[in-house]
Formats: sequence, C-alpha cells, structure tokens
Amino acid sequence: MEGPEPSEFAKERHAAFAEMMLHELPRDYASQEINRVTLAYFAVSSLSLLRSLHRVDKDQIATWVLSFQAKPKETHNVDDGKFFGFCGSRSCQFSEDSVQSVSNLASTYSALAILKVIGYDFQNFDSSIILESMRSLQMPDGSFMPIDSGAETDLRFVYCAAAISSMLNDWSGMDREKAKDYIINCQSYDGGFGLTAGSESHGGATYCAVAALFLMGFIQTDCNNSLSLPTSTIDIPSLVEWCIQRQGADGGFQGRANKDSDTCYAFWVGGVLKMLGLYHLVNKSALRTFLFTCQSPYGGFTKFPYEVLPDLYHSYYGFAALSLLDEKELGNLSVELGLAALN
Amino acid sequence: MDYFRAVYVARELSPRALRLTTEALLRNPGNYTIWHFRRLVIDALDSDLVEETLFVDNLAEANSKNYQIWHHKRWLAEKLGPEAANDDHDFTRFILCHDAKNYHAWSHRQWVLQKLGGWDKELDFCHQLLEEDIFNNSAWNQRFFVITRSPLLGGLSAMWDSEVDYTIKAILQNPSNESPWRYLQGLYKGNPDSLITDERIPQLLLNILKENSYCVFAWNFLLDVLCKGLRPNKEIEEAVKGFTELDDAGSSDQDLPTRICSALERMDPIRVNYWAWRKSNLTL
Repeated sequence: MEGPEPSEFAKERHAAFAEMMLHELPRDYASQEINRVTLAYFAVSSLSLLRSLHRVDKDQIATWVLSFQAKPKETHNVDDGKFFGFCGSRSCQFSEDSVQSVSNLASTYSALAILKVIGYDFQNFDSSIILESMRSLQMPDGSFMPIDSGAETDLRFVYCAAAISSMLNDWSGMDREKAKDYIINCQSYDGGFGLTAGSESHGGATYCAVAALFLMGFIQTDCNNSLSLPTSTIDIPSLVEWCIQRQGADGGFQGRANKDSDTCYAFWVGGVLKMLGLYHLVNKSALRTFLFTCQSPYGGFTKFPYEVLPDLYHSYYGFAALSLLDEKELGNLSVELGLAALN
Repeated sequence: MDYFRAVYVARELSPRALRLTTEALLRNPGNYTIWHFRRLVIDALDSDLVEETLFVDNLAEANSKNYQIWHHKRWLAEKLGPEAANDDHDFTRFILCHDAKNYHAWSHRQWVLQKLGGWDKELDFCHQLLEEDIFNNSAWNQRFFVITRSPLLGGLSAMWDSEVDYTIKAILQNPSNESPWRYLQGLYKGNPDSLITDERIPQLLLNILKENSYCVFAWNFLLDVLCKGLRPNKEIEEAVKGFTELDDAGSSDQDLPTRICSALERMDPIRVNYWAWRKSNLTL
C-alpha cells in the first residue's frame, strides 16, 4: 500500500479514520455500545489533537451529547441518592420518563470532555445537579461508584469525579481529602498504583491516581519543575522508578511488569512522568520508533506492533502519546484531563 | 431493549422478566442497567443462587474482562456467604489457568478473600503459579497481598524472614526478572534499617554480580541500598571499582553510587536519561 514512510505521521489518514469512527462505528464495536459516548470522546478528542475539528459539525455534536443528559423532575430530592449526569448510550435512556435513565461517571466525564473540546459555551449550562448528585456516588473510603445502583468502586471513578469537578471548576461534588486518602492506599509495594488497595500496579491505575491528585491540587510542580507535596502523600521516588522501568527494550511502555509493550501505556505511564515534570527521562527516540510500528496503514493505531487493524482506543492514546513527544502535526495535550489543551 | 424498558418501568419482577434479562444479557453483557434489574428480580423471586452462579460463570468465561459480570459475581458471593468462598476461588483459579494475569479475576479473588475468607491455600496457590511462571508479576503481587493481609499467617513481620529467603532464591533463579527484585524492595519497606544491616543483601548482590556483571537490577538495588546508608564492605567496594570504568570527566575519587550510575547509563541505554538524573541527584 502506497503511503507515508513508516516513520512519518500519517495525519490525513488518522483524521479520516477518526472522522469515520465519529459518524459510524464498525460492527465489532457493538459490544461496546454501552460506552457510545466514550467512543465519541475518543473520536472527537482525536480530531481535536489532529487539528481537524473543522471536519465536523460542532453544533450537531453538542446537541447529540446534551441529549444524553439525565435530568430530574422539578420536585426531585437530591438526597435520594440518584445520580444525574450523562448516560453513556441510548440503551440506558428511557424516552418517556427520563428520570429512569441511568447515567454514569465515566460517560459524564466523556460528555463534558467532548463539550469542552468543541468549545461549547458553558455559561448557560447548569452543572449544579451533576455535582450535587455526584456526592452520593462517593463511598466512605473515598472511592466512587460509577452509578447509583451499585457497581465496582475503584480509582477510575475517583479520576472521573476529579476530572468532572475540574472541568466544571467546582469541587462541591466530592470530598477531596477522602479521595486523596483512597488514592494513597492504592500505591503498591513497588511504587506503582493498583486500581484498588492491594491490586497489582497498573499503568492506567497509576495515571488515574496521579492525575486525580494533580487535578485536586495535591501535587504541584513549580517553575523549576520541582515537585511539591504539601503533606506526606505518596512515595514519589518509587513511583518514578516504577514508571521508568515500564519502558521496554523495544522502546514501548508496558502496563505491568513483565508484560508486553502496548501503545496506550505510552500515554498512561508517559503522562504520569509528564505530570511529575520528568518526561525528559523517557527515551523519546526509542518510544517514537515503537509507536510508529503500531501506526496502522488504515489510519489510527494498533495495540501491538505490526498488527494491521486499528482500534479507536489505541488510536486516541497513540495520538496522545505522540503529542507528548511533540509530534508537529498534533496539538498540545492537557495531560491531567486527557484531552487536547483548552485555550 | 424496548421490551426491557417496558418491564423495567413497570417494575415487573417476574419469571418472564428474568428470562428477558437473560436474553438481553447474552446479547449485551455490558449493560449495567439490565444487570441491576436482574438483581431486583432475583431478590423478588428468591431465585436459586447456585443456578445463577452457573449462568454468570458461563458468561464470565466468555467475557472474562467484563466489569459488570464480575460485579454480579461479587453480589452473588455476598449473598451466598463464606460457605461459597471456596467455590468462588475454584472459579477464579479456572479463569487464571487460562489467563494467569487477568486483572479482573485477581481483583475479584482479593475481594472474596477479604470479605468471605478461604485464605488457607492461597500462599500455595501463589507458589504454584510462580513455579509455572516465575515472571508472573500478578502472582508476586498476590503473594504480597497474602503475606500482609492473611489472618492465618501473622502478618509481614512474622513472614518477613522466610519471604526474604524465598525471594532471594527466585532472584538467583533468574536475576533479569524484575518482579522478585520489586518484591524484595517491598519486603524491606516496613523495615528500612534491616535493609542496610541484613547480611543476605550484599551477599546476594555479590553472588549475582560475580556471575553476571551486567545485571541491571542488581546494580540498581546496590545503588539504592548505598543511597539508603549501606556501609559497603571491601568486597562490594572492589566489585564496584573493578567493574566500573572511570568517567572521562571523573576521577578515582568518585564515590560508589556515582560510579554505579555511570555504569548503568551504559548498561541500560533505554533508561540513560534516568540514570543520569539519579547521578545528578546524588549530592542532594
């Protein structure tokens, strides 16, 4: 197949891929339909990073996203524990009585992220019900459930809550101290973070932990790129070494020790180092070489090297990882929010 | 889905509603609304939980990375209580046979242990997995979980000594395996003074470096213990000085940690920036 050199970023192909994924997903994604809004976030945020948002109708996207918002009746009592955020899919919506709709934290994060990326004007957006009802999702140990009817609680949803609060610029929806305590308990003996206390250190969990601490203001870097941690929180040297050790001889990043390198961890783990002001410790040329072995000839990125068919998740995090590497065809990233930098 | 919405809105908690959720979940096991409703129906009908376990285990086998299925298993386990803990462990053992690093299975297993028990064979299970694959980091993590949390073993302080021996044996088996090195580090976290006084540590490092002078993890560990205050014996000093070449800009007075960092910059090129950074921070 004719095309760019293997080490050249195929911007047009990637933009075409992301645009196609926004309009219609291939049937292989049917099992992921419950996460439709999240998939749209990957596509829209990809287009934003690719500086290709002009390819889409932003008003149409805004209308579509807002149609997933769950709204209470006027007489609703916020103490009944129900969460009113955004649903992830039509299959969680009930058209006649939208009070039945089941919204969740992850799709709320995705929905707000899409709106931010397309430049939606939040001036008239009433976020109060999202934040008030989000409090019901926080557990006594500081973690968050994704939905009010009960589900697993882990670091992913602590991150979502922090990102939602940050995007809405309002921290009334969560107890940050409790969330911080939960995060600290998730640091493993080897310096990385697991999704729950006692779980194996994992790149995605580590990102959620550090990004959430960052967003909540518990980690700051000053102008000298030194870290300041106001109270004793986490073991930074072990964390740094854990992250650095995830880069393999093939240049890519693995998600856990002794596992294969995978495109997405270049963002999850690389992003942690970036937030800590230590991205310069990454072997960038080796990483770049690895990522280009995952660039699909069809546009997008694959999970592993030399596979052919891309998927939307690895494509988005491939773009995000290359943005961290200052790929010139890509825009800047807001690492802690996981989306294109907002101007 | 419209049929489902109808019974959901009507709150019809009947056998046919249960069958409907079965149909719906077989098509889309990710829909948490349907799982939630199914739980309401099961409670209302007081359905056979053993049969339900069979249903969800079949789904879990085919969709072993689906969060909602594992959550439903948790809900069932809680209802069935401690007597069912061993059956549940048998199931996760089965899943881990096919995928020894399945994160969901390990999370679930840890939850069942803490909530319902069944700790007695867990350390053996970890050992068995490590015999099959000493590189299995999930099994090492589980081992740490067991020795620190099992109510049957006395906690880390009681297990510490034997675990250090166990880990050293594993390291010697394959010094390029990151997992036992991290585990060893973890064992000493609660006991930092012993890290610099335990004779086994310099002995281990010398043994490895004699056979394999390019073992990055060994040099890394030595660097860390020196930084934490280990007083190097003569053998260690000679090993470092003998192996490490002088930096072009350096002198024979360079201290051991500096020499080791320089050596690591050459030995571990992927992490060359990290070792240079460690070196620059040594005097801080």
